Formats: sequence, structure tokens, C-alpha cells
Amino acid sequence: MTGKRSLVSIVDDDESVRESLPDLLRQFGFAAEAFSSAEAFLASDVVSETSCLLLDIAMPGMSGPDLQQELTQRRQTIPIVFITGLADGSARPHLLARGAVECLIKPFSEEVLLDAVRAALRRPYSGQVTAT
Amino acid sequence: MTAQPATFNGGWTAFRAANGDDAAANTAATDLIHILDTVEVPIVVLRRDLMIAGFNKVAADVLGLSPSDIGRASRDISVLAGLPRLEEQCSQVIASGVQSRADLRDGDRWFVMGISPFREGDRQVTGAVLTFTNVTAFRASIDQVIYERECTKAILNTVADPVVVLSTDQRIQSGNRAFYTLFFELASLRTKLKAMLAGSRAFQPVEVDQVFPGEGQRTLILDARPLTLPGHSERRVLVTFQDITARKVAEAANDLRAIAERKDELRRSEAFLAEAQRLSSTGSFYWRVPTDEITWSEQLYRIFEFDQGVPVTLELIGSRTHSEDIPLLHDIIERARGAGTDFECEYRLQMPDESIKYLHMVAHGTRDEDGRLEYIGAVQDVTARRLSEQALGKAQSELAHVARATALSALTASIAHEVNQPLSGIITNASTCLRMLAADPPDIEGAREAVRRTIRDGNRASDVIARVRALFTKKEPAIEAVDLNEVTREVIALSLSDLQRNRVVLQAELARDLPAITGDRIQLQQVILNLLRNASDAMADVHDRPRQLLVRTEREDGDRVCVSVRDAGVGVDPRNLDKLLDAFYTTKTDGMGIGLSISRSIIERHHGRLWAEANDGPGATFSFSIPSGPAGVPDAAPR
Repeated sequence: MTGKRSLVSIVDDDESVRESLPDLLRQFGFAAEAFSSAEAFLASDVVSETSCLLLDIAMPGMSGPDLQQELTQRRQTIPIVFITGLADGSARPHLLARGAVECLIKPFSEEVLLDAVRAALRRPYSGQVTAT
Repeated sequence: MTAQPATFNGGWTAFRAANGDDAAANTAATDLIHILDTVEVPIVVLRRDLMIAGFNKVAADVLGLSPSDIGRASRDISVLAGLPRLEEQCSQVIASGVQSRADLRDGDRWFVMGISPFREGDRQVTGAVLTFTNVTAFRASIDQVIYERECTKAILNTVADPVVVLSTDQRIQSGNRAFYTLFFELASLRTKLKAMLAGSRAFQPVEVDQVFPGEGQRTLILDARPLTLPGHSERRVLVTFQDITARKVAEAANDLRAIAERKDELRRSEAFLAEAQRLSSTGSFYWRVPTDEITWSEQLYRIFEFDQGVPVTLELIGSRTHSEDIPLLHDIIERARGAGTDFECEYRLQMPDESIKYLHMVAHGTRDEDGRLEYIGAVQDVTARRLSEQALGKAQSELAHVARATALSALTASIAHEVNQPLSGIITNASTCLRMLAADPPDIEGAREAVRRTIRDGNRASDVIARVRALFTKKEPAIEAVDLNEVTREVIALSLSDLQRNRVVLQAELARDLPAITGDRIQLQQVILNLLRNASDAMADVHDRPRQLLVRTEREDGDRVCVSVRDAGVGVDPRNLDKLLDAFYTTKTDGMGIGLSISRSIIERHHGRLWAEANDGPGATFSFSIPSGPAGVPDAAPR
């Protein structure tokens, strides 16, 4: 892995996640940026640079799936890995069908996280399923 | 004085001529003849040869004699012709010198004819003197009397009831035909009659039953009244006999008819009751406690499946009672003997075919006038209801399980989400920390920071737990007047099928004069529900005695209301009584034990207290008491 590090952006309203995940991702060798809301991410200048988006589902204001839809509409084909505190896995198939790479349930281990991020980075940009 | 012949109006000429001696017709004789002519009684004088010697003036008028009749034979006189024995009688009188008499009828007239010897001076009898006394009017009045007497007699004899007239010495003077037909022994009345005749007291009618030969038993009313007869000093008594046998018989028949009608009515209402009992599967009984005399209705025999009329004893009832409920039955019987108050319970029968019947019994205790205790009660066969309740309860419990699972899952998800956030941070930070320490050179400062965040996240998780706990205790109580009897009944209603499924026999003794308390109805329901559940659970492993549960409400001194729940379960170790109410302490394998702790805090918020006691026998009793009235307003829950 040479040259510029892949940027992994994190959008989560939970402070613990925003503080802990970037440090771990950096340990894995990624660049990492954390945002406290979907709106903050969209307003940032890293949207187009982001190689992988770790996205919380339930947030005040724009939710994770809302952001996914917004990005699709903007033709920003960023591979998305959802992270959720809801133990209920019922939303997972729906999210995967709409193009998400993975849906991780908190708390998750570093191995699971790493596998998901790597899978996201491997995904060709054109390979995303078009949102309905 | 000249010797002129006297002038006679009557027929004395011949008489005189017969003498042949004018000198005899002296002044004295003439005067006498005048006097005789004024007498209103006809007088005729006959000679010894029964020829008419003379007659007075009235004899001429009344008997139609004329002077030419003098010297004629008496038998030739028309008026005397009706007396064939006249000459014979006259001859006897003349011969004997003794008076005689004869009745003479002339047309409508009646005479009594006197025949007297006629003497001339003191000499021998020379003829007879006939006097004619007119008795026509006298005879008519006698006839009238006879007629009236006959009429009276006819009337009296026509009367069916006997009538008798007695003398003062109670001899029969006269009686009507009915009296002689129906001979009556008056001896029994003597004293009464005597008192009446003595005038000391009026005779009161008496009713007498007497058997008469050939008549059978008759009922008579005897009445008597004194008779006073004009011109008689002697008193008599009239006794009447009124035969009321027929009336009595008719009355008796009427009574019998009325009784029969009442019997019919009773039979109808009995049939109605029996039908109602059959339709409602309810039998009734009557239990006279001192003698253990028990009476069952037909339906109760059918419920117990005994032959109608088999003598009912407590042993017989026991023989059908489910073996597990026999101690309960004995308990009920003992309690009923002592208390005399109403009781209500449920128990089971075990039928010969091993099927089980559920009975609901309600009994009302009373005392008879001698203070003997007796119960009248109803027993309803509630088997069908219990079975459907059990089925319903099973369905409800399955539903409740689903609902509980659903609710729990939602709650779990919510709690999990809250807790997973910091947990996620903890794991991530720990991973980061390990990686930083493993780097060459180790990033000590980074690792330290990661650990600090781990600690912070751990605290966050702990805060979440605290918030969740607060969530469950943060409810505002709804304050209202609460009738603990009503609350208890509601809880019993909610739990009954549950208890039944657990083979718990519930008995409720709710005080009648329970004052209302002020508090949160729902919370108090939860407390009672919790106590019932605990009691039921405590008896889950009891198999050698009835799982008997007694819920009692009572008024305590100082206007407190006490609710107690007594079980016959495994009981509690006295050393653990206090610990029992501590949160998280439990003797149960499948429970949290938190119920009693919450219950105690609810009761304390109602200014009451909750405590547990070990029973004398098996099991434990949990009770709480709360002051009644507005004083019992609970504090708001601690925030």
C-alpha cells in the first residue's frame, strides 16, 4: 500500500464511535474522518475523496439510509458499510439490496470491521446496484 | 091474700096441675118459680115416670119447649132425642138419688146436662131435674187449643233437629220425633244445665261429638234456654240439638280441597325449582349442624351421582371428594361448625370413572329459634366453565407469552441499542489500545488515551443501566379512593384461571365493613397480584396436601386496612424473612425476586407496611396494611 491512504469516513451521532473508530482505522493504515451527522458529511469536502463510508443507521435528522439514497441521487458511488446498535438484523437485507457492502452490528470486533472495509475498497465504483 | 092462680111464663102449669093441689102453689113457691125463670140455664123437671113435669122460661126458649109438652114423655122431646141413654140414666138417678151428667149436642151447640134427683120436701125422690149448661164457647176454645197444639207438634216433628223440653230436675217433659229418633245421653250436660236453670249463668252452646248407633259419629251443637210458662211457677228448659255433621264434613272436604290445591301449588313450584336447578346445574342443601342432618335437592344427588334418597352424610360427601381436596373439605366443615358465618369455596369431586367435577359452593349460616346452627346452601357444578376457562387460560397464557416476548424484545432492543453504543466504543478502544502497545515503538500516549476512552465508555454503559432502572421506577402514582375488597376481587378474577391451572384452591374472606383507602389502584393491584403469584409459586411442589390459598381483608385497629395472603407452600425460613423483601433475593429458581421488593416500596409509599410470617402449619403469610382515608396519600415516587 503505497501513495495516498484510502479515506474511510465515519458518520455516527455517537461520540464513542466517532472517537474510537478513527484511531483504530488509522492503526490499520487508513486515513479516517468522523462526522456527527449525515448533513455534516455532505457539507464537508471529503465526500468525493471517501473510499469507504462507515454509516450509522439511526441518527437524529438525516438517517443512514437517507444519506445512502442522497448519495445515490448525487451519483456519488461510495461503498457503504452500515454500523448499527440495533441488535435486530431485519434491516440488513434491505440495505444490502440497495447497495450496501455490509451491515455491522455494534459492538463488533476489529477483524469484522477490517474485512468489511477491505470488501468495500475492493468493490469497483461501477459495480453498485442502482437505487430504485 | 087471695088465692089467685099464679101466672107462669115457663111450663110450670102442668107441674102444678100434676100436684093437683092449688093450695101448694103458695106465695113462696111462686117466688121460687120466678127466680128459676130468671136463671139462664135451662131447667127441666121430669116425673118418676120420666114425663115432663115442668120447665123454666129459658128451657122454653133454648130447648124449644112449650106448655103443651108438659106430660109428654122426655124421649118425645126432639132436643133430647140425641140421648138414647137418657131414660136409663134418669131412672138410675131416681133410684139411687146420685147425680149424673151427660154431654148433649144440639146443632152447633154443646151442653153439659146435669141430672139431679128431685125430692118433694124431705121425702122420697119423685123425679129428676135436668140442667143444661151451654159449653159451646168453652168447647170451641178447647178445640182451638188442641188444633194449635197439633200444629206446633207437626212443626216440631217436621224439624230435623231434635228439640226437647226438660223439667228442672232434667226429666224429659216432651220432645219432637227427631229427639226420640236420636236418643241423646244428656248426662254430660247436667252441670251446665243446672247452672243455667239456677239462673246463675247463661247457657253457652256446646259442640259435642258422639257416636250414635246406626248413625256413626255426629257432631251436634247443643243450646238451651229456660222456658217460663204463664201461670206456672215451675221453670222448664228447652234444649235444641243442631246437627252440624254435614257442615263439618263439607268444611273438612273444603279444607282437604284447599290442602290439595296448596299441595299442587307446592308441587308446581317444586317442579319449577327442580327444573331451574337442573338447567343451572345447581343443587341445594340444608345442613343442620348439631345433628349433621343433611338434606339434598334432587339435582345435588345428580351432581354427586348418588341414587336419589340415599341418606346424606359427611362421610358420603367425603367419599366423592377429590383426595387432594379432602383436607380442604374437612377444614371448611370445621370452620363452618364454629363460625356460623356464610362461606364460599370451590372443591373437586372425583367420580367413580375417574372424571373430575368442579363444584362451587355458597352457604348461608343461620340459627333456628333454639340457637342451633344450620346452613342452607347452593352447589353449582362449574366443571364445564372451569374446563373452558382452563382452555381459555391456556390460550391466554400462550398469547401472554407472545405478548411478553414481543414487549421484552422491544425493550431488549431499546436497552441493547443504548448499551451497545458504549460497548462498541469499549471494544474498539481496547483493540486500538492493544494495537498501539504492540507497535514498534509502542504508542504509549495513544494507548493511554484509548484506555481513558474505554473507561469513559464503561461509565456510559453503567449510566445507561441506571437510566433503564430509573425508567421503571419513574411512574407518577394515580391517586384515588380505593376499595381494597374490589381490588382484591379484580385480582382474584384475573388470577383465578392461573391459580386453577396450578391446582391452587382459593378461598377469599373479605371483610364487609372495609373503609376505603387512598392510593394508586394499579400499583396496589400489582402488589396483591404479586403476593398471589408468590403464594401460588410457593405451592408448586406441594403434592401431599391441598394447595390452599386464603386471601383475607380486614379492618385493623386505628382504621387500617389489612390484606393478607396465606399459602400452604414450602414456607419461609424465619431467618430469611427480612432478606425476602430485599431486592434480588430469591428462593425461586425461575424468578427475579424483585417483586416483593417493589411491592414493599409501593406499600411504603402508601404509608403502609408489608411483612411476612411463617404459618403455624405449612406455608407462609404475606400481609400488608395501609391506613384508610386521606392520610394514606402516597408520596410521589423518588426520582
